Amino acid sequence: MGLVSPVGQTAEPSSSAGPHERGFERAILPHLSGAFTLAMYLTGNRADAEDAVQEAILRAVRYFPTLREEDARAWFFTIVRRVCFTAYRTNRPDGADTISIEAIPFQLVDQRDQPDATAERSQVQQRVREAIDQLPTLLREAIVLRELQSCSYAEIAAITEVPVGTVMSRLSRARVRLADLLQDIVDFGDVA
Amino acid sequence: MKERLDLGTAVRDALPVYDVPPELRDWVRKEARKLDEESLPERGLMSPTRARFGSSFPLRIAAGLLIAAFAGWGIGSLRPIGHPISTDRTTNELVDAHVRSLLPGHLLDVVSSDRHTVKPWFTGKTDIAPAVVDLSDRGFPLLGGRLDYVDGHSAATLAYGRRLHTINLFVWRSAGGEPADGSFTVRGYSLLHWTNGGLSYWAISDAAGSELQAFREAYTK
Repeated sequence: MGLVSPVGQTAEPSSSAGPHERGFERAILPHLSGAFTLAMYLTGNRADAEDAVQEAILRAVRYFPTLREEDARAWFFTIVRRVCFTAYRTNRPDGADTISIEAIPFQLVDQRDQPDATAERSQVQQRVREAIDQLPTLLREAIVLRELQSCSYAEIAAITEVPVGTVMSRLSRARVRLADLLQDIVDFGDVA
Repeated sequence: MKERLDLGTAVRDALPVYDVPPELRDWVRKEARKLDEESLPERGLMSPTRARFGSSFPLRIAAGLLIAAFAGWGIGSLRPIGHPISTDRTTNELVDAHVRSLLPGHLLDVVSSDRHTVKPWFTGKTDIAPAVVDLSDRGFPLLGGRLDYVDGHSAATLAYGRRLHTINLFVWRSAGGEPADGSFTVRGYSLLHWTNGGLSYWAISDAAGSELQAFREAYTK
């Protein structure tokens, strides 16, 4: 997999040492908050996200010895995502292309306003959040991975277990929907 | 018209990035160190044979679970023939188990109000995975958990407090043909039974039956 170095990762000797040589703690712990954030945007609430991450860790501990990939983040995110989808039934991606992406009710419970936000800025933030909330799960997931976690297309494809082409189409559909709602405040280039 | 943001900036500005709660992070770190201590020092020293069999401890767990599963299957499949379902016997055994749990030192195998400690404690000891929720904000603080054996069932039991009372929540795999859902009073104790997702739940306490109804409402919410 060709992968960009993820933003927010602690400096790791990524070239020679695979996940095993580094051990579980050094391979996985740097991605814990990223995984929790992903779970928050998939489940929509803190208790489910905590449970999902905990369950994912239990699975990851069990399967770590079988991990061959270099990219521990994509591997761990994949597990978190599977737990969210199976245990918490946010949606069920059975067939990547046939799946109905009807909007499921989603509202992030935990919406704290930034204390330094000016009224205007917080109004913009509010509108962006609401627009993201309204996205179908799979599109929201693609946007969160791409824009919030700075994952490459290849990484998103690995995490969501679909071809890169599907990732690009989901991102583009997400942008079209967001553009509908946010065109006046966000520049979408030529998608809108 | 003022300048518009690009999507990435707008998203990063609007969506919070979440940090895992410290107690969950601590738990993960502990699990990670446990695994790393087990596997890292041996790495590179093991012969191919030892590498294959050196970590047989997951196998032993698997074997244990298999035996447990067979034992459970044996009990589950024979029970309806040898012992017709008896609500009286089930509720009586539950009361016994509840009273036993209140003897000094018997209430809890894992003492913690932290669901991130209690939940994984069950994993590996039983295949029953009840939802472990802390309900202190609803007046039912989580006290901890333990394993029980009641009326032929291996049970995962959660203990909650209710003012000066203790509520035991027994959870076992529902084998069918069990007493119907409902509330019971046996020897002065209140019991409330419900089934959900293939699991049979029995809440029992010396608190009033209405307290158990409130407890179930909080627990299943």
